[in-house]
Amino acid sequence: MNASEPYSAAVGAGITIRNLTVTYHTDRGIFPALKDVSLDIRPQTITGFIGESGSGKTTLAMAIMNAIRTPGLIASGSIYTDGVGDVLKLQGESLRRVHGQHFGFVFQASSNSLNPLKRIGAQLLDLGRSHGIKDPRILLKEARALAERMGMDGDRVLTSYQHELSGGMRQRAGIIFALVLRAKVVILDEPTTALDMLSQQAVLEIIRQIHEERGLTSIIITHDMGVMAEIVQRVVVLYAGRVVEEGPTQDLLQRPRHPYTKGLIDAIPRITGDLAEAKPLAGSPPDLATVPTQGCVFRDRCSLRRPVCDLVEPLAQPAHGDGLVTCHGVNAHD
Amino acid sequence: MIEVKHLVKTYPARGGILKQKPVQAVKGVSFVLPDAGAVAFIGESGCGKTTIGRILTGLESYDSGEVLYDGVNLTRLPSAERREKLRKVQLIQQDPYAALNPSRTIAKTLMAPLALEAKRQQKSKAWMASRAREVLALVGLNPEVVLPKYPHMLSGGQRQRVVIARALTVEPDVLVADEAVSMIDVSLRLGILSLLLELRNKHGIAILFITHDVAAARYVGQDGRVCVIYQGEVVEEGVTDDLIQSPVHPYSQALLSAVPVLRGLEAPGPDRYIPLGEFQQDEGTACRFAPRCRYAEERCRTEKPRTVPYGNGGHRHRCHFPVARRVVAEPLEVNS
Repeated sequence: MNASEPYSAAVGAGITIRNLTVTYHTDRGIFPALKDVSLDIRPQTITGFIGESGSGKTTLAMAIMNAIRTPGLIASGSIYTDGVGDVLKLQGESLRRVHGQHFGFVFQASSNSLNPLKRIGAQLLDLGRSHGIKDPRILLKEARALAERMGMDGDRVLTSYQHELSGGMRQRAGIIFALVLRAKVVILDEPTTALDMLSQQAVLEIIRQIHEERGLTSIIITHDMGVMAEIVQRVVVLYAGRVVEEGPTQDLLQRPRHPYTKGLIDAIPRITGDLAEAKPLAGSPPDLATVPTQGCVFRDRCSLRRPVCDLVEPLAQPAHGDGLVTCHGVNAHD
Repeated sequence: MIEVKHLVKTYPARGGILKQKPVQAVKGVSFVLPDAGAVAFIGESGCGKTTIGRILTGLESYDSGEVLYDGVNLTRLPSAERREKLRKVQLIQQDPYAALNPSRTIAKTLMAPLALEAKRQQKSKAWMASRAREVLALVGLNPEVVLPKYPHMLSGGQRQRVVIARALTVEPDVLVADEAVSMIDVSLRLGILSLLLELRNKHGIAILFITHDVAAARYVGQDGRVCVIYQGEVVEEGVTDDLIQSPVHPYSQALLSAVPVLRGLEAPGPDRYIPLGEFQQDEGTACRFAPRCRYAEERCRTEKPRTVPYGNGGHRHRCHFPVARRVVAEPLEVNS
């Protein structure tokens, strides 16, 4: 972004991830948090990363921004995004510029990422200064407009400290930070987990509206299939650092191919219909330290387990038209 | 059985110079939790639902009203007898990470209440050990694996099961589950919910389920009742599925509209609506919901609605203009 003309319309960029492996180096050894992930994030689409704790969904989002910190390490792979090139080749000042201007990020529990000692407006000015925005008035005007867009009083938000805002308002303030520099790719990590249902729906609706208005590429990280079904257009299902299924939301919900995806969907308590149809998912979320190094990582919890699953890690095969599934138990042609 | 009548709780004003007003968290709430029954309180943050749970478990006092445990008002009992009664009402809190002492193994965590229980019932150490195994098995954990572990070695779902096992050591009649699954991985939530349902159905433990998650309330509260609470008042209550399918209070309708729709498997209810703005607390209008209500009329701002029945099915509400609306999702037929 050129500092002298900061508010050209943002238009989302696509992201191409190839053979991405991220490892964590700990006392107990080296563990792959992501293993050989290849994935296309489509431009101007809302993509959801879903998985349990430890599935690698946040790691994948951080890797996309080349923001993995020790003890994590990007061991191999490439991540191309339109207008930037291979993000993994960037470092120092050029990487810092990309954060905020190309990638906007909203942390999980936004209340923890705001500075408690500074008013929201002052923090916005810091952000503008660090990205070379020459006219802070334009920045504040943009922030105020975004706040009002989200049903808040713009001046009140900018002159508040974070503790003076409710949970839903803090979450929205976090979204302002992600959007104010007109990022093309906006990544939201569990944007609604701390919120009650009404605030959750309001925040999701706002995310959807701004996504459409600006033609963004948005990524939403969540463990909640309901949030996923409500807002995203394509779902990426992660398990133990692997992409096990990917496809358009409706088709994936109607016809899940991977037994894990099916298990996640069956485990949703529903507001309507027969309660007896809800079935808990067996087993525990994967622990990086105990993920099998050979064969399929999901086999211990799987209903379709076959001898081949113990020996060979399944490869991605086409599913859902232009999506994929990674499982020995499903035949691509049935 | 627990009967609650006109319960009122006010938190005193805090801070000298700021001169904050006292906060009335619970404003005349009445309900009955039958033996082995289920009552769910649903509402958003700050509506007073947690306070009700804390009062029932004896962690919080109340200003006026009555709480009867099997017909007995505990405030008039000597403290030893009161503790004895309250022991039978156990609280399961939201955060299983904070509820367990990180420096104690699960065995130690369970032995503390079991030692008291053994003393009371004059049982041996061997009884304690076998009881610890029994309660862990009851919550679906393998005692041999779990007993020697520390909390950090367990997943959120396993920790919450340990918390429930600890509550079961005293053979409670009532579990008060306050957002008991909201911090647990969604994939594991149903496991905890079905455990609560099983404790209710097989072991006759009544459940007071406090949540903002209506679908979870529906699951645990099968054949039970739901109370929708807004700013300390119950604005609507009824049999679980009846209230969910045809809510008549606009606030219940907003809450139920906010349940995510599983697009592809469900279609949004025809009357669904999502309010977008941030809401101000307590505007001082006669009907407390009037400032947020899309159907409010002049009467709502001047005349306080009273709780009245809707139909004959024990469905009650507090609205001048009740209209049943279909806001929750409806299942779609899917060919797979």
